[in-house]
Amino acid sequence: MAYVIAAPCVDQNDQSCVAVCPVDCITADPDVDRKFYIDPDVCIDCGACANACPNQAILRTDQLPSEWADYAWVDAAWYRDAAAARSVVNRLVAGAA
Amino acid sequence: MTLARLPVERPLPRPGPSRGVTMNATVLAIDEVSSSIRRFRVRPDDGVPPFVSGQYFALGVRAEGRLLQRPYSTASAPDQRDTLDFLVRRVPGGALTTRLWALAVGTRVHLGRPKGLFSLDPADRRAHLFVATGTGIAPFVSMVATLATRTDRPGIVVVHGAARPAELAYAETLRGVPGARYVPAVSRREEADRSGWTGPVGRVGSVLRASWPDLALDPLGTVAYLCGNPGMIAGVRGLLEDIGLPVAAIRSEEYWSVPSS
Repeated sequence: MAYVIAAPCVDQNDQSCVAVCPVDCITADPDVDRKFYIDPDVCIDCGACANACPNQAILRTDQLPSEWADYAWVDAAWYRDAAAARSVVNRLVAGAA
Repeated sequence: MTLARLPVERPLPRPGPSRGVTMNATVLAIDEVSSSIRRFRVRPDDGVPPFVSGQYFALGVRAEGRLLQRPYSTASAPDQRDTLDFLVRRVPGGALTTRLWALAVGTRVHLGRPKGLFSLDPADRRAHLFVATGTGIAPFVSMVATLATRTDRPGIVVVHGAARPAELAYAETLRGVPGARYVPAVSRREEADRSGWTGPVGRVGSVLRASWPDLALDPLGTVAYLCGNPGMIAGVRGLLEDIGLPVAAIRSEEYWSVPSS
């Protein structure tokens, strides 16, 4: 059960989570990505990122509200096909607008 | 709210190439502290990176195609250039510690970057009180070693609690620091009796309370560092506040139990 970075992170580029993650499982390409991504295969569920996020964007997978549920797929997908994940983020943002 | 067509039922893309997680360190020594605690000495390929006493590193192994890692505070001081020591308590059935217990000397492991804000302030001239349970002593071994090199060394008191005497890791090291006061405590009476333990018996909070008059610490001139289980930290924090330490003078780091460690 990993943590997930959801909609409030989009276009914020805060990176507090990156600084505190003990296992460096959060990353992104700030020049391209609109949010950061947690690698669920590496996340150890410590919650340090959630506590550090000033935007309350990070939640456990089982605590995601339904409108943000797809960000779990997005985070996992980014580490396999970043372009696909970015495309879905854009669609999610557009759909929520 | 209307959402765009979503990918929830879509399988994840196939895994891409490795993200470059490397086995960048070698296990040099494994010492059995007790039946459930081991000390791992690790040598990073590129030398020990700069860090501050109290910080932790992620220690990991490759397992079933993925990197399995957990953060551990190092007991080594920053002036140690070649190796880092870590205290690890085995978690029954734990994914990582089970694998660490199977490691042989010479095994390649992953070592992350130093992280963490629970670190020593080198400019702090107050007396330093360290209170730990179990493997929570590790960051304090590093901190005490760093303080011991200062010419204007402040007062140092270390209170370490463990369930049994064998788990008092680094006891000889801490007992031998000039000018430092070391107070070891064993919490389980039967373990103390069985091993002939003659030191304090009880939880660190009660031992600290009983020892306080002899420690000669000025509540307004002391900084306290607490590390270990959350229950101990809550209890000792309350005790120190009652004694008169300012809230801001009490720093802590909880050793939480990560599922399947």
